[in-house]
This record gives sequence, structure tokens and C-alpha cells, in this order.
Amino acid sequence: MKQHPLCTDCENSFTPLGLPIPAAAKHQWAAIETRRRFLGRSGKVLGWAALAALFGDMGVSTRLEGADVTSAPAHSGNSLGLPHFAPRAKRAIYLFMSGGPPQMDLFDYKPNLAAQFNKDMPDSIRGNQQLTGMTAGQAHFPIAPSHWPFAQHGQTASWVSTLLPYTARMVDDLTLIKTMNTDAINHEPAIMLMNTGNMNAGKPCLGAWLAYGLGSMNDNLPTFIVLQTKTNPKENNQPVSSRLWSSGFLSSEYAGVGLRSGTDPVLYLADPAGVDRAVRRNMLDTVEAINRQTLAEVGDPETNARIGQYEMAFRMQASVPELVDLSKEPQSTWDLYGPDARQPGTFAYNCLLARRMAERGVRFTQIYKRGWDVHGDVVGVLPVLCGETDRAAYALVTDLKRRGLLDDTLVIWAGEFGRTVYSQGGLSQENYGRDHHPRCFTAWMTGGGVRPGITFGETDDYSYNVVKDPVHVRDFNATILHCLGIDHSRFTYKFQGLDQKLTSPVPAHVVQGLLA
Amino acid sequence: MISGQSPPAERNPAIGTARSRWLWIALSSVLLLILPFAIPLNGESHAELIRFLGHFHPLLVHLPIGLLLLLAILEFAGTSRISFRETAGFVLYLTLATGAITLFFGLFLAYGDGVTGRTVTRHMWGGIALLIALVLCAGVRPAWISGQQTRVYPALLSVSLLILAWTAHQGGSLTYGSDYLTRYMPGPLKRIFPSSASDARYTGSFYLQSIHPVLDAKCVACHGAQKEKAGLRLDFYDLLIKGGKDGPVIVPKNPDRSLLLARVTLSPTDRHFMPAEGRTPLTADEIATIRAWILSGASPTEKSVPGFSRLAENTDFNFPPVGDYSNLLNEIQALQNSDGAKLVAVSSKASDGLILRTVDVASKFDDAQLAHFEPFAPFIVEVELGRTAVTDASFDTLAKFTNLRALHLEETAVTGRSFAKLSSLSHLNYLNLSGSKVTSDALALLKAMPNLHHIYLFNTPAESALQASKDIPRSTQ
Repeated sequence: MKQHPLCTDCENSFTPLGLPIPAAAKHQWAAIETRRRFLGRSGKVLGWAALAALFGDMGVSTRLEGADVTSAPAHSGNSLGLPHFAPRAKRAIYLFMSGGPPQMDLFDYKPNLAAQFNKDMPDSIRGNQQLTGMTAGQAHFPIAPSHWPFAQHGQTASWVSTLLPYTARMVDDLTLIKTMNTDAINHEPAIMLMNTGNMNAGKPCLGAWLAYGLGSMNDNLPTFIVLQTKTNPKENNQPVSSRLWSSGFLSSEYAGVGLRSGTDPVLYLADPAGVDRAVRRNMLDTVEAINRQTLAEVGDPETNARIGQYEMAFRMQASVPELVDLSKEPQSTWDLYGPDARQPGTFAYNCLLARRMAERGVRFTQIYKRGWDVHGDVVGVLPVLCGETDRAAYALVTDLKRRGLLDDTLVIWAGEFGRTVYSQGGLSQENYGRDHHPRCFTAWMTGGGVRPGITFGETDDYSYNVVKDPVHVRDFNATILHCLGIDHSRFTYKFQGLDQKLTSPVPAHVVQGLLA
Repeated sequence: MISGQSPPAERNPAIGTARSRWLWIALSSVLLLILPFAIPLNGESHAELIRFLGHFHPLLVHLPIGLLLLLAILEFAGTSRISFRETAGFVLYLTLATGAITLFFGLFLAYGDGVTGRTVTRHMWGGIALLIALVLCAGVRPAWISGQQTRVYPALLSVSLLILAWTAHQGGSLTYGSDYLTRYMPGPLKRIFPSSASDARYTGSFYLQSIHPVLDAKCVACHGAQKEKAGLRLDFYDLLIKGGKDGPVIVPKNPDRSLLLARVTLSPTDRHFMPAEGRTPLTADEIATIRAWILSGASPTEKSVPGFSRLAENTDFNFPPVGDYSNLLNEIQALQNSDGAKLVAVSSKASDGLILRTVDVASKFDDAQLAHFEPFAPFIVEVELGRTAVTDASFDTLAKFTNLRALHLEETAVTGRSFAKLSSLSHLNYLNLSGSKVTSDALALLKAMPNLHHIYLFNTPAESALQASKDIPRSTQ
């Protein structure tokens, strides 16, 4: 038996056939192995083909494992019978506010808190909840009313903090969800849960599921792109890792492609001096031929993913420079997005890129903005965070709307959890801090499929518990999939003996009240 | 009683026994006939013990059915081998005995659970008729064995089998719903046997589109024409509002006082939880839909309910289905391979149509290439021509895309001078002209299009002119 060509330690590692076993036994074993493989595979292929033909659209034909390994990477979701129904949104843009924005300082207006400044939050509100180690030891839980006044905006008269003057202008287009809730109280599990439906790493994220299920709209750009915003040292930045845009147990071609936040979005994109497109093509053809050989010998679907990724990289050499070339943007763009948008790596720049990607057929764009983890100095840091994001988010939605893209694009703004109404650390008239809070937080959506101009759900007087219409993370994800034409309960992938899905084994429901 | 094994010669003189047998037959028939009046099915449930026994009816019922079929087979086989006929007599009495027990248990079931309804009544009378027929069979069989009567017994047995088939069908309808035979019938057969309709006068209402299907799927098996448990029927709007023996189940505008919602939202372990007997519970979405409908007044005619305007009710998405293109897949594939532009299915349902997607070949895609897609014109509902090289000449082709709902022409050289050609596209709802060369004069030509609600003119010569006079709605969203 041959060594695996991709083996990194080919010299020293041994194969079973290298062990001191009688030659006859080795031959016998090799023969059995081949026959077993052949029979196993052909049986599987024939069986699945027969079943697929018999059951038609029953979903048995979702993945013909082993059968399609040697064919070209499939980019169309059609073989999965997706979308299940006519979608309202073709694509989605997810503005991820990593760290947990304080809902009561931005959207969840609680006017009667002002009178309770520095009073202890009633124990009945907290119940038996286990707090984080950062505030569990506090003797008091003094209520910290929002430092900023709120005002009503738009025809819907929705309350928005003065910290978000631009967002306030578009409330009539937004679907505000005040009753988001999650299971996790710490960043990593909570952010994993938001993105993958599971607190443990290793499951595919929303974008990977969409790439797998719906496929690409544009062969020259990745189906799922992740943009990271440059960190601001003034803010408390929690790490954001590629686990969050991983494809988990799905083929790695569905993982998010992260663009760098600097001037060079993809490193080594330009061909080196002396290498032109023809030479590059020639080289890739040879690499592909070698990879196809490996694929035929080993049959590992990941080889197929690698072939696809080489090809994608080649096409991106042409498409990415065009994507990030903002020189042809009209002046109205700069007027809308503001001066930040000229700086690569800012949130505004990323929002502008997201609009350009939407135009060019990228299925799912996720922009990470870190720094919302305001444990202390809310009064100092929150205006900075809002200044970076408020205008850009408004600009993105407005730009999509005026260009006719909002009709079939879903825009999502959410963090992994909310923050506590009580102050972490000292509370003064001038400043306060807020700890993590999973029981309620605010998110918004707009665009294809969701009902504009509504505020969904109610929280109690302390913005601590959900009083009416809770939206769990899983329900949120189920609703997002619904907008994109996917029935979350039927969108599964067999792995570890389970029909795995984004909305995990706990029952989830599409929140009908959010839908247009 | 004389069994079938006895030699015929011994029975002929026994006229007195025959007379007493007919007396027995008459007596038992009368008893069976008055049974339903002795145990009236009035829709109220009764003692647990009766219900407990009654629930064995579906289990037991298969025994006499099997025995009766066996009896017929034995009698038929007996024409060639006499030993079969000897066994048949025993089987007949066994059928009679198990049939009688099953009948009583069936009555216990209906009486105990308080089940009423047309099908229940039919099923009951079917069972009684079957048992009387069997008693008669037992009465005439000795004469048939002895050769005095050659036709009566076979005729009675055949009648019994027919009654059995009919009664069993009623029973099947009770358990699995009246459409249990036709539900998964292949399409062509379905057209020959159309299924029954519901409140046709409410066509297009939220009730008929979103509420009735839920009740029909989850509740009507027990609360419908076949069974009326607790005197409640949910298959028609009037009956749904009327309620059952516990009063109304729907209180318009007050979901919290509506019994129907209370029952479906109980803990599944609660004995009052609905749907009962382990049937599929309502999903949270279905409950939310019903709640919203009740909250809005539970109207049978209202087209929409706040927060629940479904795809079909939204005028922007209420389009006729397109034809089935599945037999054209090979041609579509061939065209894609040669042109680079793609025809993509909107969804897994062929009737949702196709999208023409040109983003991969944008700058090279022109009017001539668009013309290649003419053969698929009736199936294409959306055309994405943004950043392509198409011009106003493309409208000649596009005019043939009669099912077109959305047309993307952003960043093209289109001026709109010949927009009039698009007037045949009566379903066109979305037209994106951002960044094109379209002028305000050309827009006047679009005014006549009835469904064109979304026009985008960002960055066009028309935009500035339009901002002065708001003639054409840019977007109603």
C-alpha cells in the first residue's frame, strides 16, 4: 500500500505493511482491504442510487457519500433540494457585535430606572441565576440607569438612545428584537452558540450551513466571506477566532474566507514578478492533476475541497482587486458612509465592502466588530463604539435600500449576549460598568423576509428577564434560515449518527411574528 | 346447538330443536337491534372501566374479521375436501362469539369516550348488521350441510362479507381519517377522485389558508364529520365557533379564554392535553398563528392578521405558479455550459420558476446571449442583468418572459426609450435601474404597469428629475 501523498512525515512513519508481519499475511490483508473497499463502496453507491431513485425528494439523496467524491466540487445547492421554498432573501449580511452590547443603553428603554439609581436590584429579579465570577462576589447589585437619554423616532415611534443618531433614522425599516436570549454567560460559549448553534467548537457556523445548502451565486468570489474590523485599543477586545466561521463537519470548502483588515485583503494575491497568468494557470493545472491522482487513490473528499480552493484562489486573483477597488465609488457613497470608510479595516470600510459583495453575489458576509465588552467605563467607551458602528450600519442599510438590494438581502445586527442593569464595580454619577447578561438582549434585522418597523418582545422593568415573546438564539437562527428559504428542521447533515442541524437537537421555532 | 360435524341424517327429525334455534335467532337479533337504544351515544364520556374495556375494541376487532375470512375460505375449499367443511362449523361459532364481544367493546369505546358522529353511527350499525347476518348464517348452515337449502347459506355468507368490508371501511375512516385510502394516492388517480372541499366561500382568507389546514391536520380526525368527540367539530368555521358540549372553544379577541388554545398548550402529560392519544401535537408556530388569529377577532373572511401576512397573502409575492421545466433540464445544462450564464431554480418547487444569473460573465453578456434563453422564457421569473452589456434592444427578448417578476438592469447602458415593449409583463413587480442611463421621460412608459411597485433609480439621470416631482413610487416598502 502506498503512503498517503499528503503525509507530512513520509520518511519516518511506518505503515501496517512495514511491520514485521509474514509476507503472505500482508498480501492477504491487502487483497481483503481492496475487495472490502470495492464491495463496500459499490454496495453503498448502488444502494444509495436505488434509494434516491425510489424516494425521490424525500431527502435520502442529500449526499451520495463516496459516490460523488471524485466529481468536481458541487457549488449548487440543488442536489439537496434547497431552498425548500421560494426565499425572500438571496443573501445575508451579519454585523456581529462581539462582546455583548448593553441593550439598556442602546435600544431597551427603561425610563423608571432613573429613580432607582444605586438602589439594589431586587433579588426576585435575579432569582437563582448564577453570575459570572466577575460580579458573583459583589455585595450589592446597584442599578445603573443608562447615562444617555432616549427619544422616539420614525413613524413607529421606536425608542432609541441618543448614542445611535443614525440608527434612529432607520427604525422604520428595522425589526427590533428585545427578547433575544442565550444559554451561555461567557464570551466563547455564547459566541459559538450564536454562530454554530452549539456552545462547543466543532460545529459548522450559519455561513457554512448557508454555503453548503444554498451554494454560490458567483464563481469568482467565495460564498461566505468574513471581514474583521481593526481593533481599537481603547476598547475591551475579546478574541474572535476562525472557529466561528469554521465549516465543522461539513466539507472545508464551505468555511468562511476571512479577508484581512489591512490594505491587502488577501496576502500574496498578486503574482510575483516574472509569473504571469498563463504560468500560474499552467502550475495550477499540474497541481490539480496531482491532486486528482491522490483523490483517485485515497478517495478523501477533503482533496476535492483543496482542488476547489486552488481554483477559487486563482479566480480571486482577478476578482478581489476589483472588489476592493473603491476608486469608482461615487461621491454619494462617501457622503453616506463618512470619512472612516476610506480607511481599510474600519467598520465603515467593511460595511461598504459588504455592499459591494452583495452586488457581486456573495451569499453571506459576516463583519465582526470587537470591543463591546464594557465591564467598566461604559460612559467613556460606549460613545466610541457607537461612533464607529452607528453611521456605518445606517449607511449600509440605506445604501442597500436605495440600490434596490434590501429587497432580497437580509441584514442582521447582533452580539452574543446583553449586559446587566446593575453596575459591575463602583457606580458613580459619572460612570458605571456592566457584566455579561444572557437572559435578554437586543438584536435587529432588516431586509428580505422580515417585518419592518416593529419592536418584538418585552422585557421586565430592569431589562433583565423576558416578559413576553422570547426569541432564543436557536429560534433566531431558524428565522434567519426561513428568510433564506430553508426549513431549519429539514436542513440536516448526517454526522456522528445524528441528523445534525444548525438549530441543534433542542426544538427551535421560526418566530412568525418577525416575518413580513 | 348442533355443530356442523354431526352427520345430516341425525338432524332431520329434530324439528323441535330447529324451532327453538329460530327462537334464539329472533331473540338475539332483537336484542342486538335495541342495543344502541339501551346504550345511547350522547357525546358524554363515562366511567373509566368502560373506557378501559372499550379501548380493546381496535385490538379485538381484527380477530372476528380474520375468522370470517377464514370461514369463507374454508367453505370454499370444502367443496373439494370435506375435512375443511367440518372445521368451518367451528370457525363460524368462534366468529360469532368473538364478533359479539367485539361489538360490545366497540359500544363501550364509543359510549365511554363520548364519541358521536355520522361515521361512528354507521360503523355501529354495520357491526350490528354483521352480527345478525352471522347469527342467521349459523341458523341456516345445518340445512345447507344436510342439502335441504343449497343457496341461502352461501348468499348470507356473501352478504356478511360485504357488510364486513363496508363496516371495516367506516372503522378505518374513524381511526385514520376519511381520506386514509386516498391521501397518498398517485396524482393521476387523485384527479379522478377529487377530495372533499372545505368552507369554499372563505377562499383566500387567513382562516382558510393558515388556520383550517392546521385544524384539519391535527384535530379533525377526532373532531370532525367522522368522530365528534365532546360534540365538537373543527372542520367548518361555523362549527368551530359554535364549540362543543363544554361551550365555545374560541373567544374572539381573547386567546387566553379560548379553550382550544388552552388545551393545546397544556403540558403533554396532562390528561386534558390535545391532541389526545399521542397524536402529533401542534407546533409552536401553529399555536402562535392560531393565537394571533383569535387575537385579531377570529374572522373567517379577514385576509391577513397583524404579524402574520404570509407569502401567499403579500401582494408582492402573490404570483401564479409557472409551468414545470424539469423535462428541459438537459437543454438548460447545455446552454449554461456554452454561455456561462446560469439558470437557477428559485426553490425545490419547479412551479417557483427560474432565475437567470449572469454575474459570472457580466461584462461579456449581451443582447444576443440573452436571446439564447428565449426557449425558457415562460419559466424565468427573475433576470439579473446588472453590470452586463445589454442595451434597450434586450427588451425585445425580455417582453417574451411573460412570468417575469423581477428585473435587474443596474449599471447597464439601458436608457428606457423602449420601455413600452415591457408592457406585456403584467407580473413585473421589481425593476432595478440604479446606475443605468434611464431618463425621467422613459419612466412615464412604465406607469401603465399594474404590479410594478418597486422601481430603483439611484444614480440615474431620472433620479434628480424625480425628486422634484414624486410621480412614480420608488419603493413602497
